[in-house]
Amino acid sequence: MVAARVAIPARVHEPVTLSPDTPDFDDDFQAAEFALGLAEGADLAAAQQRARTDNTFAAHIAAWQERFVAMTDDIAPVTPPRRVKKAVVKTLFSTPPIPLLDRLWVWKGLTLASLVAAAYFAFPLVRPTVEVPSEIYATQLKGEASGLEVLAVLDPARGDLALRRIAGGAPEGRVLELWALLPEQAPVSLGVLPEGDVTRVTLPAQFIAQISQLTLAISDEPPQGAPQGVPTGAILAVGAVEEL
Amino acid sequence: MDRDEIENLIARVALKDRKAFDALYDRVSAKLFGVCLRVLSKRAEAEDAMQDSFVKIWNHADRYQANGLSPMTWLITIARNTSIDRLRTRRKGHQDIDTPGFELIAPGPSPEQSVVAASEAARLSGCLDALAENRGAAVRGAYLDGDTYADLAERFQVPINTMRTWLRRGLLSLRECMSL
Repeated sequence: MVAARVAIPARVHEPVTLSPDTPDFDDDFQAAEFALGLAEGADLAAAQQRARTDNTFAAHIAAWQERFVAMTDDIAPVTPPRRVKKAVVKTLFSTPPIPLLDRLWVWKGLTLASLVAAAYFAFPLVRPTVEVPSEIYATQLKGEASGLEVLAVLDPARGDLALRRIAGGAPEGRVLELWALLPEQAPVSLGVLPEGDVTRVTLPAQFIAQISQLTLAISDEPPQGAPQGVPTGAILAVGAVEEL
Repeated sequence: MDRDEIENLIARVALKDRKAFDALYDRVSAKLFGVCLRVLSKRAEAEDAMQDSFVKIWNHADRYQANGLSPMTWLITIARNTSIDRLRTRRKGHQDIDTPGFELIAPGPSPEQSVVAASEAARLSGCLDALAENRGAAVRGAYLDGDTYADLAERFQVPINTMRTWLRRGLLSLRECMSL
């Protein structure tokens, strides 16, 4: 078929000497190889490291990705079968993280017991049989960078949520403010969290009505809380509410 | 595609808004599935790659703002890289290549961030076709077929280092062509 075929060397390394006439292209070429997936072995590791730490290099990669993506322009869209979306949802949302459940079963038990007691003492004559609400919602608010971790248990029947801080706290001179988020709505402040580890917060009715879509977030704010009623500081922890 | 709309959905996904994730899926899954199918050919594998891609999108949406890409580029790049990964695992029977470029995090604003406009990227095809000696085909082979240097060298019957020099010149011309 084809005549002289030179033996292929095992390695691909020969970085700077490739084209001495265009040394200023070296970085950009390295970025292009990385974006194409052509970098291998030590080159790949070096490029990955640079992508994380070197803004200019990362921008080169982004520029190549932006150029190369045009190769997908004439690829026609194909509607994926429904099972794909179902599988994604199942993977991401069907199994609440075990640590959360592990920590919560005791708490859930306590909460139910206290509900039973409260209901009993409050309405002994009116409600001789105590109804224990079956639904309890919870979430674990976490942020990768902040180290803040807060458990929230929401009790729709009582209309409140109990918070317990597991780890982390407010940065020096700042406070933690709790926010309730519903899809396509502006965040609503549920107030500044007190310094202690455990606290209870009233949950406004509109959130109870849409509790399964509720997300809680904690931002860091100036000592009096966010001045305009919208978060101004960094979001330190986020958690989507789930039914237990 | 409406850039603002998709950007907004990704921002909400970063806040773990499931409804936004649902909407984002409905909006872009057909395009992404097209890309996965193009790379992987096999439907079952393309479905798996789609699943992996959307799990990554959910988990990494908070990194999107930092990398300066247009939203569709970010999404398509995840689907493409995930598919290439899977393709290479299939070919080699082992997994030694990290999803290329996926971990990209630019920690702050950078000079080139806004340089490449979408309209500029659309000229890529013409520029690729203008490249000499199959270099355009080599770029396409790497991007869409997951070809490695060894694959390309075999395909074009040249030593790996020659291939690399070709590609370097090709990409340099490509960059110049697209910036005209």
